[in-house]
Amino acid sequence: MWNMVEDEKMLSSVQNPRILLLHCRRSKPLHHHYHHRHYGKPIHATPLSRSISASLPTSQIQTIQKSILSREKTTRQFAEEFLNRLRLTEPHVKSFLHVSETVLDEADEIDRKIDRNEDVGPLAGVLVAVKDNICTADMPSTAGSKILENYRPPFDATAVKKLRESGAIIVGKTNLDEFGMGSTTEGSAYQVTANPWNLECVPGGSSGGSAAAVSARQCVVSLGSDTGGSVRQPASFCGVVGLKPTYGRVSRYGLVAYASSLDVIGCFGSSVADAGILLQTICGHDKLDATSSKREVNDFTSQFISKDYFESQPLKGLRVGVISETLGDGVDQEVVSSIRGAISHLEELGCTVTEVSLPSFSLGLPAYYVLASSESSSNLSRYDGVRYGNQMVSDELSALYGGSRANGFGPEVKRRILMGTYALSAGYYDAYYKRAQQVRTLVQKTFKAALDSHDILISPAAPSAAYKIGEKKNDPLAMYAGDIMTVNVNLAGLPALVLPCGFVKDSASSLPVGFQMIGAAFDEEKLLRVGHIFEQTLQGYSFIPPLIADEFKS
Amino acid sequence: MGSRALLLLTPAFRSDRVLLSHFTKCGFHQTFRQKEKMVRLGAREFSVHSSLERPNVARLAETARISLTPQEAEEFAPKIQKVVDWFGQLQDVDLQSIEPAIRPDTEAGSFREDSPETFDNREAIIAAIPSYEEPYIKVPKVLNKD
Repeated sequence: MWNMVEDEKMLSSVQNPRILLLHCRRSKPLHHHYHHRHYGKPIHATPLSRSISASLPTSQIQTIQKSILSREKTTRQFAEEFLNRLRLTEPHVKSFLHVSETVLDEADEIDRKIDRNEDVGPLAGVLVAVKDNICTADMPSTAGSKILENYRPPFDATAVKKLRESGAIIVGKTNLDEFGMGSTTEGSAYQVTANPWNLECVPGGSSGGSAAAVSARQCVVSLGSDTGGSVRQPASFCGVVGLKPTYGRVSRYGLVAYASSLDVIGCFGSSVADAGILLQTICGHDKLDATSSKREVNDFTSQFISKDYFESQPLKGLRVGVISETLGDGVDQEVVSSIRGAISHLEELGCTVTEVSLPSFSLGLPAYYVLASSESSSNLSRYDGVRYGNQMVSDELSALYGGSRANGFGPEVKRRILMGTYALSAGYYDAYYKRAQQVRTLVQKTFKAALDSHDILISPAAPSAAYKIGEKKNDPLAMYAGDIMTVNVNLAGLPALVLPCGFVKDSASSLPVGFQMIGAAFDEEKLLRVGHIFEQTLQGYSFIPPLIADEFKS
Repeated sequence: MGSRALLLLTPAFRSDRVLLSHFTKCGFHQTFRQKEKMVRLGAREFSVHSSLERPNVARLAETARISLTPQEAEEFAPKIQKVVDWFGQLQDVDLQSIEPAIRPDTEAGSFREDSPETFDNREAIIAAIPSYEEPYIKVPKVLNKD
């Protein structure tokens, strides 16, 4: 456990405005919004004094960087704390498919560099988990599928390469729905990840492992991928921050392709600042990805200032549009009230909030599934058992293909490939694929118009909080319905940020609810600024799951 | 011959569907029966018209090179049918004069120099090949199909 730095003397000598973020905690009693009955432990309201703030998230990245550079604590000590927590929680949560064996060695190397006064990089000492559909040359990359069991890619994804260059320690590869196809992580061929808030519930998907790992504080931040909401929905289910960048912001080189016109790599953190700092590290043009943008990347991280420096109505003048189609039928009542709570909070901060209608909204869901299955049927044709992956030996080539794929792919993957094959067949292309592409144009146009008259748009990240493991497994359409809040953003390629804003409670537990903020293309800076201010001024909530909450009390 | 016979023999398919694919292979022009169906999704109901041939799971599996077991095919068919019916909503919308978008319009393509570069980790590529006999990647023979 590390201590909050409240030493005035130390702060006055620090030039870097980023460090100011640390000097913003006040002692106040914790107001827990949930019962511990499920875990049999009572909750005490605890003064925060020197413990890490449980009611206002801080940037763990900045905390760690400051500690190791000032030698208040070693990288190894931080690494050991996280690894211990990982070991304790993994049997319950099962976020990881592979844990690195070199974490402590890498931590020691960073400490040695610091001792020698060498540069260590902006993410030095930070443990990062990587979704298993993002290639890491030194660890297996399975995409959650048996067809790639034990597969070692010959290269690192560009995002991973950038992480390594920034000094980050990659702690392991996280669980996912196979090839990114799913919204619960139950579609993994290896294991089911549990939601740290209630182990009987799903963490969301497809980046469920990455979301759960950050939620259970098994790592500091993590990378996921988002094709139809796969970063944003698990962020909401697990009570963490999820950031989906603009399409083209982050290189897709090394991300196992599911739907190439929709896929992006996204970031998870326990605070908006951490998700933003992670994005800063991995974004930028890459000649190895022809869809990556050459646009300049601003420094978004300079705006993660301490809330002591906020003006009284820090978001005055910001025009917020609530998407009216997202608060009606089919959305859990408690989710709606959490979103309305978030709206009130935004109004207190000075925003002007109005309702905006996006008429093509509900059409985006079938359009998305047509496009995603079609593109996936093409992208997954490379898994033929010949050049890599598991091979089903056969006398004849077609049977080798057919057998390797039948054996290696799970049922949801097979179904989506078949649906995609159908939608792309001669005679059906116009009826399905082309029409879905036209809906995409419609969705892009309506978002553009709405974002001309509003700075950001908001909606829930999902129509419900996390549901029980097994609940939607046999009904694909019921599972797809849950993606309604997120898919349109992928069709339009826009950036979006999800942050926790409330809870849904039942007799057993409290489950977090996140709200989604959507911005104009490449406007991550605005999203992060608004998100940071929202988060730092939100009173009365703690988004640390009961599973590990004891550790965070003083 | 073999593949057609297989279709007829597979118990997984209802007879009308088997006949349908048989007709199609024989070159009959097929305008499938208009069918008003209701598909429920969440709180909403969608009326879907299937004026297109329904998905033939066995044929799709062959095209996609996935060897489905008869049980799998039987299990998948209704699920796939349900989703495809749901896709039918796309036909109910007026999309005339709307250009299809192949990807988000966030940025135009940025191509790199068309100059070859040698990949520096061929050993790892070779290590991942299931059946390799230097310098060949081995595959079984290709049989002539009907």
